[in-house]
Amino acid sequence: MRDLNRIIRCLAYTLELLVLFMIQETPGLLPRIYGARPVLVLAAGLVIAMFELETPAMAFGIVAGLFCDFGFSGTLGFHALILAVLCFFISLLVRAYMQVNPVTAVLLGIVALGITFGAQWLFFYYFRHYSQPLFALTSHYLPKYLYTLLFVPLLYLVNKGLSEALPVQEK
Amino acid sequence: MKDILKGSSFKVLVIAVVVLLGLIIYTASAGGSFIASLLGFVSTPMQGVAADVAGNVTEFLDLDGFSKDELKSLVDSLLEENSQLQNQLIDYAELQQENERLKTQLRISEADPQIEMRSASVIGRDPNDVFFGFSIGAGTLSGIHEGDPVITSQGLVGIVTEAYATTSKVKCLLSEDVTVAAVSIDKQESGVVGCTITMASSGLLRMSYLPGDTKVEPGDIITTSGVGGVYPPKLKIGRVESVEKSETDVSKYAVIRPFEELSTVKEVQVIVDFPGKGEDEAAGDPGQTVEGGEDAE
Repeated sequence: MRDLNRIIRCLAYTLELLVLFMIQETPGLLPRIYGARPVLVLAAGLVIAMFELETPAMAFGIVAGLFCDFGFSGTLGFHALILAVLCFFISLLVRAYMQVNPVTAVLLGIVALGITFGAQWLFFYYFRHYSQPLFALTSHYLPKYLYTLLFVPLLYLVNKGLSEALPVQEK
Repeated sequence: MKDILKGSSFKVLVIAVVVLLGLIIYTASAGGSFIASLLGFVSTPMQGVAADVAGNVTEFLDLDGFSKDELKSLVDSLLEENSQLQNQLIDYAELQQENERLKTQLRISEADPQIEMRSASVIGRDPNDVFFGFSIGAGTLSGIHEGDPVITSQGLVGIVTEAYATTSKVKCLLSEDVTVAAVSIDKQESGVVGCTITMASSGLLRMSYLPGDTKVEPGDIITTSGVGGVYPPKLKIGRVESVEKSETDVSKYAVIRPFEELSTVKEVQVIVDFPGKGEDEAAGDPGQTVEGGEDAE
């Protein structure tokens, strides 16, 4: 029964990421705020890591990252790599030092999304020598970061409900 | 800490990191990949449906959002525009007839342009793209390849930069990676149309390398020149809003308002073949203007 729960939970996470990917990519579905739209898949990947062991957390981080890479005209594997590492350590942190609650979810979101969008700006904007990197940072990356952060508590509640409805026995 | 480093899960992380680094290097060097095509097969049909539904709902809400007065003024302005266009059409028909007569007299035969196009819907706009790039629901299986120009009835929109089996990525004119050899059809002055992040935020383009004594002025229409063989000539781009002095040299640049709203375009046509495609590239002239190139890379 527990194994069945684990399988259903994995399928539910995958479906969740797929649906969120479609929502974030569909033109005109989510309103622009200061020209930015949220990257829901990133936030979901990070929140899922709070409810999973390191290896599954990393695996879902990779899936979420690959979705991001596919949607973005960038290098396939970039977001997957960052999310794999972040999700692995989020899972470890939550298990060893933190409680799982909305406040820690937001705190981890602030740090992890900051790292992800910071790396995105650095590798896909600054190092490509586009014009006015500071303008891009403040007018595009910062609003996108804050907008995405808004969804962390909501995704936390969704995934908390999912993990409570489908409990699995941890080793 | 030691326990973490010795644990099997950490080893899995290291393996995953190595594999993903390999994937990054592979896709950076080889471009399109099997994984991207596979993800495209899964997501494209669903994205297409989602984009259609969202488009219909948005259209419905947009129309519903107009007040009676706004609708009345909209109808009035459209009627006025229609009247002006009808007058222009009469002039156009007369000019066309005269043109045909002159052609017959001079025995000029016009070659059939033979532009081959594919229709596609915009199925995705990634929030990570600061330059308003988008995905279309057609790829290599529809005959689309990297470097194909993308247009709408309003004019040039961008260029295909990645083509997978069922989906393609398009960089629009608002991207700093895209440059187009352009010409003012009124003044016959050439330049290069590109963009910067600040202009992209306002939905504007920049036509650079105009001479200091340029005759280009607000209201002039800018089209592609066809130099470079990447875009066909005479594709509409936009209308000049203002002419400014360059920050770096004595040249001037024109600020262009594109005819198409590049950040919200929904349906596009991809030009898969046109007379003269890639001719200048094949000639390998190092002094040519590079258009559609990704200068940042």
